[in-house]
Amino acid sequence: MDTVITLRGVEREYRMGRTKMTALRGVTAEFRRGEFTAIAGPSGSGKTTLLNLIGCIDKPDRGRVVVCGQDVTDTPLHRLAALRNRYFGFVFQSFNLIPDLSAYENVEFPVLLGDLPASERRARVEGLLERVGLKDHRRHRPHELSGGQRQRVAIARALVAQPLAVLADEPTANLDSRTGAEVLDLMHELNESAGVTFLFSTHDQQIVRKARRVLALHDGEVREDHSRAAVQVETTSAPAALLERSA
Amino acid sequence: MATFLRIAFRNVFRNTRRTALTVLVISFGAAALILSGGFFAYNFDGLRETTIRNGLGHLQVATARYVADGEERPMQHGLERYAELQEWLESRPHVRATAAQIDFVGLISNGDKSEAFLGSGVDPEREAAMGFTLNLKQGEPLVGADEALLGVGLAAALKARPGDVLTLMGTTSAGALNAVDVRVAGLYATGIKEFDERALKVSLATAQRLLDTDRVTKVIVKLDATRRTEEERSAMVAAGLGGRGGELRVRTWHDLATFYQQVVLLYDAIFLFLGVIIFILVVLSSSNTMMMSVFERVREIGTLMAFGTRRRQVLAIFVLEGVVLGVLGGLCGLAVSYGLIQAINHAGLTMPPPPSFSTALPLLVKLVPGLFAGVFVLIVAVLTGSAVLPAWRGARLRIVDALGHV
Repeated sequence: MDTVITLRGVEREYRMGRTKMTALRGVTAEFRRGEFTAIAGPSGSGKTTLLNLIGCIDKPDRGRVVVCGQDVTDTPLHRLAALRNRYFGFVFQSFNLIPDLSAYENVEFPVLLGDLPASERRARVEGLLERVGLKDHRRHRPHELSGGQRQRVAIARALVAQPLAVLADEPTANLDSRTGAEVLDLMHELNESAGVTFLFSTHDQQIVRKARRVLALHDGEVREDHSRAAVQVETTSAPAALLERSA
Repeated sequence: MATFLRIAFRNVFRNTRRTALTVLVISFGAAALILSGGFFAYNFDGLRETTIRNGLGHLQVATARYVADGEERPMQHGLERYAELQEWLESRPHVRATAAQIDFVGLISNGDKSEAFLGSGVDPEREAAMGFTLNLKQGEPLVGADEALLGVGLAAALKARPGDVLTLMGTTSAGALNAVDVRVAGLYATGIKEFDERALKVSLATAQRLLDTDRVTKVIVKLDATRRTEEERSAMVAAGLGGRGGELRVRTWHDLATFYQQVVLLYDAIFLFLGVIIFILVVLSSSNTMMMSVFERVREIGTLMAFGTRRRQVLAIFVLEGVVLGVLGGLCGLAVSYGLIQAINHAGLTMPPPPSFSTALPLLVKLVPGLFAGVFVLIVAVLTGSAVLPAWRGARLRIVDALGHV
């Protein structure tokens, strides 16, 4: 598989008032096309920060970020809008759908920013809505959809521009366990059948088990990086207990 | 752009209560501007036409020396052969009628008491043909020589009533004293109290007899439309004023109506003051609305930018929202204004007499299409401008901060 994202010695710090907090400490990792990777770890371990850096919506303080061979570390974020639109799809914990737009319009939005012909646009959006089981809900606004349906719309939106990778930040955290499992199954199925690359953060071991690769973070450091059929993750803060291989 | 416009349009209706309040403020502002502007426009029109009909006419022709120097003696620079001039003027296509007039001063006496007067020698038939109006309070209009119309204030000072005989005293053009007895035909009001206390009208022949002259002060010209005033003056001058171009001067009603000009200046200042207050009110209200709109949608902005929306596109969404709100508020403002104008104009309201006036004025508002268009454009521009700063702030948000906003 091709390497699509490379992180080398990435560090990120935040300031909260006078306090300096280190979110990532020297993270080095590579992600390849077609992966289904869970970035696991307890709250505050740096999962979201790592996804933000991969998705070019944040910049590292030190280290390099390379996307498809292009070193984007020193490029200002507002100049990376086209790159984000082309290479990444995002799924958020709170869905983040545009409340003023219908399900169809939400899915369509990322490709409206490009120069895709209208017929192709329509075909992609309708195909994805059918794929996520929401063809009959195309005219519904987000507030008319359930949580699971909203996240399905968000997944369709993330996929519509045919990105290099879909970055999902705690995609099931706001869903009940059954709906969360359904959403994860959908992501898994899209990965298996269409080869879509998924990188998702989670602290739910049920979800971690379904990942083929698990990058375990603790206190901003990569503690484990396993490519296995099934992995179980401890969500407590104890570093030694963070990862437990189930195989 | 269509999607951005759609987002902007729908967001305007997301918080209906806030939008309704903003539209209400905008409508109030638009209506205040349109109503006050329409009210002033009606008053300008009314005052202009009243000024013209009350004796000023559209144009006045007098000798150049009279215009430049005035007179030391009555009729010193008076207009000779005025009948020929009137004939020439009346041959012009846009001239409806002309009338010669003499302005003079003197004393009027009832035998016991004398009062100074400001007199006009007029041609009643021609003035009637010109549509000049006279607010006759008692008696009859002028019909013949040796009759006079007195301002109500002057009549009150002399305790004169229609039918009484009074004596006019004046200085002839040669400098001698002269007197003429006149019968009071009627009493009239001009609407200006101070002028009513001095005003007097006699026939042209009576005035000429008192002043011992065959001249007049000026020839007043009534046109078929006020808007042709400037154009017709230029045309008359270009045509040589019947071969007397070097001797005569033509002045417009606007040159002579100093009171009208003062009123216009005053009203314009009031309108500007009102406009500034309303402008500030609308800017504050709409800025607050736009600021709240951006604040409530911080996470949404982060999402849009994460998916590749550029800063200028985020800016466009919010500026378009300002445009939508402006168009909506502007249209509501126009509708409210139209309704209020119709209601006011059909209510038969009157205003108390303004300073120096003795009669009440009708309260009417003129429907000025240009004012409607101007206020609409202004409202849309103000709302668009008000959206720029909040939109710029929204577009400058860091994506990570915006996505993490609670």
